[in-house]
Amino acid sequence: MSADTSLLTLLTTTPLFAVGLTLTAYLIGNGVFQRLKRPSWLPAILIAALLLAGALALMGLPYATYHQGATWLTVLLGPATVALGMPLYQQLPRIVELWRPLAICLPIAATLAAFYSLAIAWLLGSSDTILASLAAKSVTAPIAIGITEQLGGTVALLMGALLITGVATIPCVSLTARFLRIDDERLIGFALGLNGHAIGTVRAFEISPTAGAFASLGMSLTGIFTAVLLPLAWRLIGMGS
Amino acid sequence: MPALSGFLWLISYWLIGEVVIYFTALPISSGVIGMLLLCVTLAMRGRVPSSIAAAAQPLIALLAMLIMPGVVGVFFIIGELSGQWSAILIALLLGTLLSVVTTLWLLKRLIKPTHVR
Repeated sequence: MSADTSLLTLLTTTPLFAVGLTLTAYLIGNGVFQRLKRPSWLPAILIAALLLAGALALMGLPYATYHQGATWLTVLLGPATVALGMPLYQQLPRIVELWRPLAICLPIAATLAAFYSLAIAWLLGSSDTILASLAAKSVTAPIAIGITEQLGGTVALLMGALLITGVATIPCVSLTARFLRIDDERLIGFALGLNGHAIGTVRAFEISPTAGAFASLGMSLTGIFTAVLLPLAWRLIGMGS
Repeated sequence: MPALSGFLWLISYWLIGEVVIYFTALPISSGVIGMLLLCVTLAMRGRVPSSIAAAAQPLIALLAMLIMPGVVGVFFIIGELSGQWSAILIALLLGTLLSVVTTLWLLKRLIKPTHVR
């Protein structure tokens, strides 16, 4: 083991090892996802995340060391979020067509997205820290991290909540859409982005560019709305004190 | 090369977002501000420059990979929260189902179906 450990120390002196690991897990995850004929209950990101966690555990590589190297990838999350402005612009005419119903739906749906889970967790006796970590579960990662820090939650648990919420949103949306007989890609996309943040948005882009644009819109509006109102609401009910 | 200048545009918008946040103390991420600014700029120009398309398309396709390193962290805090997980899972899964149903139901009520397919 000691020889392995020193090799691991050598490899992790460069961020390229963590970047390479992430790319490998992502590519294999995608390959398996395609091979399984794109199941909606098992998105590629979940397969890849499981593979990556398994690989880290097998090698005995501490998560903190990995995460430090992977910063070289995660820093791209900033420009990638900005890039979503492009599909948003391309779908602008269709969005403008629907601005009134979307403007009514968003505040209600975004509030309830946080409220339902918080109420259930609270009823089941979760601690204040856990509640604070779950509150931003439907918000895209870069915004959600800021909100969670403000509320006093754990960022690692938030990321888990984001994964579970995002992954669960996909089958929930397809089942509910079938149940309510909705086949409008705009509505499906908006619901995916509003509830399932980046993971739902990625799924929406798999459906069509229109669904993707509405998902980007839902994701960003939910992010902005929650970022502004959640910390305020938290203070009002006296959770943050 | 066009992809590179497009990438510089995206980075610049993100940095402008940071500056905006610094001066306004808005609790929004600079990525979202950059995204809205990019959308407004494109709307004013009336088209997407090929350089921005060349940089934006691959980045959007990689979005899922970029959040992976953070997401993996949850597997390493499972031990710390033992005993709490069932409550957390039930809250997230049931909460998500309820909120998806509410969202879609609301949208259906508010929008007359026009069947865009």
